[in-house]
Amino acid sequence: VSHPAPEPPAFAERLLQRALARSGYADSIVGDLHEAFDQIVRLHSSRYAAWWYRREALRLMLRYSMRDRRGATRRSPALPQSGGQAMDWLMMDLKLAMRALIKRPLLTSAVVLTLALGLGTNAAIFKMIDALVVRPFSFRDVDKIVMLVESVPNDGSRRETVAPANFVDWKRRSAGGALERLAAFEWWDVNLMGRDVPERALGFYVSADFFRVLGVPPALGRGFLPDDETPGRNRLVILSDGLFRRRFGADRSILGQSILVDAVPSTVVGIMPPGFDFPLGAEIWAPLAFDGKTAALRTSHYLSVLGRLAEGHTQTEAQAEMKVIGERLAHDFPDANKQRTIRVFSLPQGMLDAGLGPVLSLWQAAGLFVLLIACANIANLLLARGAERGREIAVRLALGSSRARIVGASMIESGLMALLAVPLSVGVSWAALRLIRAFMPPRVVRFVAGWNDMAVDWRLVAATTVLAALAALIAGVLPALQLSRGQVAVALKSDGRTGAGPGRQRLRRALVIAELALALPLLVTAMLSVTSVSTYLTGWQGYDPRGLLTMRVVLPESQYPDAERRRRFAADAIDRIAAQPGVDSVAATNALPSGDSNTSRKIEIDGQSIVDPSNAPRVDYRAITPAYFDTLRLPLRRGRAFTSADRADGSPVAIVSESMARKYWPARDPIGSRVKIGDIWVTVVGVCGDVIHDWFDRRNAPTLYRPSAQAPTEVLMLAIRTAADPLSLAPRVRAALTAVDPAQPVFDIMTMGTVLSEKTIGLQYIAGIMGAFAALALVLAVLGLYAVMTFMMTQRTREIGVRMALGASARDITRLALWQAARLTALGVLIGLGLAVMLGRLMVAGLLGVVSSDATVSIGLALALGATALAASYLPARRAASVDPITALRTE
Amino acid sequence: MAPPDVYLGELEQLILLVVLRLGPDAYGNPIREELIAAADRHVGRGALYTALERLEVKGCLRSTIGDPLPERGGRARRYFAVTAAGRHALRQSRRVLLGLWDGLESTLEPS
Repeated sequence: VSHPAPEPPAFAERLLQRALARSGYADSIVGDLHEAFDQIVRLHSSRYAAWWYRREALRLMLRYSMRDRRGATRRSPALPQSGGQAMDWLMMDLKLAMRALIKRPLLTSAVVLTLALGLGTNAAIFKMIDALVVRPFSFRDVDKIVMLVESVPNDGSRRETVAPANFVDWKRRSAGGALERLAAFEWWDVNLMGRDVPERALGFYVSADFFRVLGVPPALGRGFLPDDETPGRNRLVILSDGLFRRRFGADRSILGQSILVDAVPSTVVGIMPPGFDFPLGAEIWAPLAFDGKTAALRTSHYLSVLGRLAEGHTQTEAQAEMKVIGERLAHDFPDANKQRTIRVFSLPQGMLDAGLGPVLSLWQAAGLFVLLIACANIANLLLARGAERGREIAVRLALGSSRARIVGASMIESGLMALLAVPLSVGVSWAALRLIRAFMPPRVVRFVAGWNDMAVDWRLVAATTVLAALAALIAGVLPALQLSRGQVAVALKSDGRTGAGPGRQRLRRALVIAELALALPLLVTAMLSVTSVSTYLTGWQGYDPRGLLTMRVVLPESQYPDAERRRRFAADAIDRIAAQPGVDSVAATNALPSGDSNTSRKIEIDGQSIVDPSNAPRVDYRAITPAYFDTLRLPLRRGRAFTSADRADGSPVAIVSESMARKYWPARDPIGSRVKIGDIWVTVVGVCGDVIHDWFDRRNAPTLYRPSAQAPTEVLMLAIRTAADPLSLAPRVRAALTAVDPAQPVFDIMTMGTVLSEKTIGLQYIAGIMGAFAALALVLAVLGLYAVMTFMMTQRTREIGVRMALGASARDITRLALWQAARLTALGVLIGLGLAVMLGRLMVAGLLGVVSSDATVSIGLALALGATALAASYLPARRAASVDPITALRTE
Repeated sequence: MAPPDVYLGELEQLILLVVLRLGPDAYGNPIREELIAAADRHVGRGALYTALERLEVKGCLRSTIGDPLPERGGRARRYFAVTAAGRHALRQSRRVLLGLWDGLESTLEPS
């Protein structure tokens, strides 16, 4: 058999050769190892031999790196005298620290792992804030782009979109100032028809300057020109790269051609570069054109306005200029603009979802709590080790080492561990961010700018390193100070075991108390968010969300200009869907509960005078088909439901929700009363149950229902009840709708369960992340208590021996130990309760009352935490009690 | 070359004795194996080589390089031999030990 003998792992060999470079024996040693390797190969497998070789090589390298160090210290004078003295000391301390870490692999890995978890989760949240809040947009000169909003002075936090006439005035009056250009955009989602299956696309009407303000020109074709803003000449579109590829196969000849947008032929003039989807994942843009009537509108606020700072000008200057313009407009148009001001924000700030900031700060606060707990744990571990090293340190002090140096050496040790934790922590962040990204439904993702930028990058690594340094400082400084304060004489006399002075004991107890106190608020907030998610997902909705399939059709005005045509489409669609097998019932409305959109209308109640016409009562408005209540299983409380007899030419009727009945007819039955909505008076014929439309601010919102036959809408949301799997009906229902009008896209086909889940996705994220933090905090705190109890019991072995010799039973000892643990736990939990109340309030305020703080939850969790902590101390207590008194007394 | 008294550690004594026993074949691997076989001392490679180097620095050992061998990846063996100083140091250690043992045999006799 003559196949070539396996060679030792080349990389390890090279590394070894290098590590030995300073030894005169390098070649011989590597050669010896090679020879031995051949022997191992013959005796075992070559795989084992390779493993063996690596292990031997590593040992040799470690040994030689240590020998070099020792050699260096031997060669240098006992106390370095040169100018590089401090440097030499630092090097020496570094080497000593490194050796100390290697010598105690268990302690080192416990500390490093704890730190990595604490740091990694924090860095992940840091990156979320960085990606979503600080820099969600990657435009080249993003600092030059600002967002302008109107605001009402007596409510400074409210931002309002801009009225067209105001925008026109802003543009005119700001020309030549700090703002080079202004551009407005307005939501415009459309049906794309012709070619292929019709589809729904998210688009925006934008000013001609929109792309210039953002500094992104189209990749193909041209941008919009001022002339394109003329009504009638604005049938032009620019497509996103994604849409261009998906729907038009990246065929460049589409430029200059006409496509059907909401059934209107529109000419494609440009294609945006890949990745451009501003705002909100837009796929198609058209020129925003004001006719004379629109341009004069000063009371409808619906435009979002961007501005680009002129070269050499700042946001502050722009704000000052716009303030003046705002005041002048308020003076010129007091009716519409009285008290209105203009505010200039940076682009990320302007586009920021109001709810995101508080949530992310909550997470960061929770993350820091966890990191602090981790630090407390590490400080405790280091203290425990310090106690064992008490004698060594006393010797060093006795030999003339300064306390500063000892503190320094101890800090170097914790610093090294922090450094070791950094790469591991980056791994934790990477995994955490992946997990966070993975759970976001794609339909929602496009609305969150920067979501996909949440990944490990140099900023995250830098943040981790800074946090690690901070953690090293926090975790290292206490034990270090404690150590250097040791009484030399006492420590030298003792054997190191009893080297834990009373001060050190106090510090360890304080650390454990702090850990428990920090863990409890996290547990409480996590529990609050988890319960609110589950109540929203599975709790009372006012209707039965199970077995419901929902979808949406939006009829473009160009094809369905009048009520009659819309009514006919709805009736046809419902008939055809109802005929499908498996469909129990089907209904249509303009807005389903928990849907993306909502509609409200001003009302006037017959016999109740309106006090303030500008603040007329408003209620949520729904136009529904007769089967709506049945399909949703929304209970009718009184009166009657709509029937097919409630036709367009019949007498106008309405059904009101219980909350509306309570609010506007507190003393009497609303049935038979009249309500004015729009220009017509309608008669209330029934009262139905409430539903939750939007968890955030409209639980049981007063709602008025009208028969859609009397008030057909362009938006049709269909709800289909089935006993089968709702999604299994989707293809047939889609086909049925295509048969009614093949040009109209059917979209957002989802079960009601998915609708609810997507609606609460933010809340689910809060619950998930808070839950993870709480779990981490709980584990760390309990481990910390366990470690401290174990340590304290070992320290008291002798005392326990004496007690037992004097007649204490094992039960007495256990009770003694548990009592000690109980006092620590009780104090920690009590402080924690205080913090929990504060954090709970912060959360309630930040989440607009989505969660409500609950004393029973706090107290229940406090008890649970206390019980867990005591359970964790039971083992050390038992162990202490099982000590043989003779051995215990002999330990010294 | 009558070196001043060199103090030998226990491992160093063992190594010198093993090198003497092995004669012309004394290089790293056999020395280590012999330490295990004859003295039951599992010495790590790092410790062994650093001790060998130390002994050479002290003048107790001398090393010579053999020919490059293919089974060693083309590297040569380093053969060790005990120098006169090494022999002297060994003798001295023995003398010191025996002197100390004198009169203690009965006390330390296994009972």
